[in-house]
This record gives sequence, structure tokens and C-alpha cells, in this order.
Amino acid sequence: MAENNSDMNRREFLKTGAGTACLAGLGGLAWLAGGKKSKSHTVWQLDPHVCVSCGNCANYCVLEVSAVKCVHAFAVCGYCNLCTGFLSPDPVTLDSGAENELCPTGAIKRTFIEDPYYEYTIDESLCIGCGKCVKGCNAFGNGSLFLQVRHDRCLNCNECSIALACPSGAFKRVPAENPYLLKDVSHS
Amino acid sequence: MNCSGISRISVLVGLLIAAAVVVAVVALIGIDVTGQKGSGLGSEFSYDLEQMGKIDPALILYQESAESISTGFERARAIAVGPGDKVYVAGDKAIRVFERAGALAGEIPLADAPTSLTVTAEGTIYAGVGDHVKVCELAGNRSASWPGLGEKAVLTSIAVVGSDVYVADARNRVIIRYDKSGKLINRIGQKDRQRGIGGFVIPSPNFDLAVADDGLLRVVNPGKHRIEAYTPEGDLEFWWGKFSMKVEGFCGCCNPMNFAMLADGSFVTSEKGLTRVKIYDPQGKFVGVVAGPQQLLGHGDSSVCKTVAECQQGSFDVAVDSAGRILVLDTLRNEVRIFVKKKSSS
Repeated sequence: MAENNSDMNRREFLKTGAGTACLAGLGGLAWLAGGKKSKSHTVWQLDPHVCVSCGNCANYCVLEVSAVKCVHAFAVCGYCNLCTGFLSPDPVTLDSGAENELCPTGAIKRTFIEDPYYEYTIDESLCIGCGKCVKGCNAFGNGSLFLQVRHDRCLNCNECSIALACPSGAFKRVPAENPYLLKDVSHS
Repeated sequence: MNCSGISRISVLVGLLIAAAVVVAVVALIGIDVTGQKGSGLGSEFSYDLEQMGKIDPALILYQESAESISTGFERARAIAVGPGDKVYVAGDKAIRVFERAGALAGEIPLADAPTSLTVTAEGTIYAGVGDHVKVCELAGNRSASWPGLGEKAVLTSIAVVGSDVYVADARNRVIIRYDKSGKLINRIGQKDRQRGIGGFVIPSPNFDLAVADDGLLRVVNPGKHRIEAYTPEGDLEFWWGKFSMKVEGFCGCCNPMNFAMLADGSFVTSEKGLTRVKIYDPQGKFVGVVAGPQQLLGHGDSSVCKTVAECQQGSFDVAVDSAGRILVLDTLRNEVRIFVKKKSSS
């Protein structure tokens, strides 16, 4: 009897233990999933209407090359020959000579459309997010160039290093479903 | 282990903890949570607008006088001076009229937002509203709306001389000449190689015009940084103006944004970017500065636009009254700011 009792206890113990382990496992998975979901529910982004193109995005990101890149709102662009986001303030000539370009990494490319209009595109592999072009475009042009956190690069740190160093408070968390704050003609 | 060994380890651990605390404190102090320490990037990565905004004080010929006129608009758009030096301001969905001293003299409500404005010597108001010209009077005796130019039209300036009314359409990059009944006579400034007309380059909705005493139309071609002179028939006669970040030229991608003419035929120009109002003689030679970024944006020592709103809305319209006062419509403060010539420069 004593043996029988002991067997029953062991079986019960194993049953109960397995059930508890399963529940704990499921609970853990649910907690992990819930935790991950709540973490990724919002992502970091910078508001282009608050950004002052200070240059901190280039250097404060924990990544070796910042997750912040320049993007271009073509609908806002004036397609100027004398583009103040592309050319240095006092260019020698209005062309893509390195001495005339504003971007220190040569990340902006220009393509002739028709006299006197040019299209400007960003080579993201070269852009470091310093915002120099954004400053030039905002001050003297239509403000079609602006900075954005690229979510194919951003690690979505809990405490974003750039957000800490942003002097204008342009960094904020936005819903992951709408992770970009884009400019359009209504903002120009 | 004896007692002396234990106490040596304790001292060592204590020192390590103290060192760690010191390192942590130094690291905490070193964190730039305001961003004011700068990006740490080299000079090739920075864009020093402040330096560009500085103007030699000796070049500033005007000073701000009296109190500014608060328009009461949320978004003031255009300014004109009418008979008796009354100040007409278009904004929101109305035109407001102010006495020379600034008291509100009346208001004309409009169905839509006005984008341009002029007033004849008789007090007739011509305003660009939506895609059409609206003609009215402060007394409300008559009012008319001319046929629309299509929903894409953006009417940024109007001038009336003799029997002609000239309207600048920034979207279609053309000047439209009407008679006073609203009948379209001809279009001016469209690209025409045979007539040697390169066309207007207008990256943003800023496209101003006026008629000089010589009877020629003066039109800003902002993308080419110049003011061009056209006959009423549309022949391009001459132009002046050049690009330069220096005070003598027009800065940025596209300037001047607006201009007015003084009684002697000189030009008062208004630029955005480096927000500055300047004087050029009738031949286009730089004369001096009415106000620079430091005076107009009022950041104290700082002298250039900082936020997107400041940069993009900082294209101030200008007008001149019979006393030669220069009226600047500050579209950031929505005020009319008045500048008079300094005694030392007159």
C-alpha cells in the first residue's frame, strides 16, 4: 500500500509538475510576446518641423553610421539649378564639381530634367545624417530635404542617444504602424 | 587567510569601488543631454548661417520707428498702401484697412483667403482670391469677381496702371494683363526663344511685380535672382540682379521674394533665407539696407531663421508710403513694421 501510495504520488507529482511547467512556459511566452509587442508598439522618429539640423544625429547614434538619413519630398522641391541643399553657399560654378557641393560625403546626386531644372536624390549609403543639406534647403529653399530615422537601421533603443542630445526636442516616439513623419506640399 | 590579508583585500575592493564611482560620475557629467555641446563633427559638416546673416551696421540706412501695426490676422499675406497713406493688409479671409497711425479703419470680409493686393489712387482694391481677381472698395459701393484662371492658379501680385491690370500667376509662371473690366489682353513672360524670353523660374509661391514710372513692368524672376523689365506687350527689355550671399546680391535659391518702388524709382527688395530688406537704385545698383536678419527676426545676437516655420514663412511683403516710410509685413508676427530713414543717412 505504501508503495502504491508512493507511485500515485510520483505520478501526480509528475503530472502536476508537467502541467505547471507548461503553464509557466506559455505564460512566459505570452509575457515575452506581450513585452516585445509593447516595446515595438512605438518607434523613434524625428519631427522635421521641429528639427534644427544641428548635426547631432550624425554623431550621437549608437550605430557606427547613424540610423538617421536625409530624405527628399519631391513634391515640395523647386528643382532649382541653384539648389541650396546641394551647392555650397558661394559655389564657384553651378555644377556638381566637388568644390561646389555642400554635402561633405557627396551623398546628393543631381540629374538634369530640363533647362533650368534638376532633380536631387539621396544616396543613403553615403548619407551620415549630418543635416547640412537640410539646413541649406530649409533656410534658402523650399525645405524639401529633411531628416528621418530609417527603421531598417534603427535599433529602437529604449533610451535613444540622439533623442537625449537633441537640442530642439524633435525626437519622439511614434506608432510603429506610421513610423515616418513626412513632409508634403501642405507643409511648404 | 590572516587578518592583515583580509584587510588588504577590503582596502583594494574599496579603492576599486571608489574608482568605479568616480568614473561613473565623470561619465554622467560628460553626457550631453542638451545637445548644446555640438555634434563634435568637423567644420566641413557645419553650415554657419549666423556668419552670413551679419551685416555691416554702416550699411543699415533705416531704423524701425513708432509702434508696429498689429493686423490681428493669423496669417497675413500681402500689404499695400492706398490714398491718405492708409495701410491695406490681406490675410486670413479678409482685407483690413488701417489709418496711417495704425488704428483700424475698416474690414472687407472675403469668401476665401486673399493672396495678393493692390489699391489704386482712387481707393479701388484689387485682390487675388483663389484663382481670380476680386475688385472692391472699402465703402462697399461695388464689388466684382473676374473669371477664374483655373484651380491651379496662384495669384501672388497685382499692379494697376492706367487702364491695365497686371496679375502674377506663380503656379503658371506668367503675368496676365487685363483691362479694368476684367478682359484678358495678353500674357507676358512665357518662355519664347524667338523673343529672347527664358521664362520665369518660380520655385515657391513668391512672384512679385510693379509698374515703374517709365511705363515698363518690373517683375521678379526669383530663380534667376533678378528683376526683369517688360513692355505691356511682353517684350523683355532689360534686367538687373545677381546671386550672392553677400549683401549686394540676392541670396539662396530664389530671391527677391517681394519688392516695392520708392518715389524716385528705387527698389525696396525683400529676401527670405537671410531675411533682409534692401534698397537698390533705379538701375539696380545696391544702395543700402533697411533691415537685416538681426533687426527683422530679433533673436538678439542670433540673426538667421532657426525653425522651419521661420525659414519658410519669412518672406515679408513690403510697401512704401508717400513719406518714404517702408512698411514691412512681418508674416511671422503678423504685424506691419515701419522703417524710416536714419537722419544720418538722409
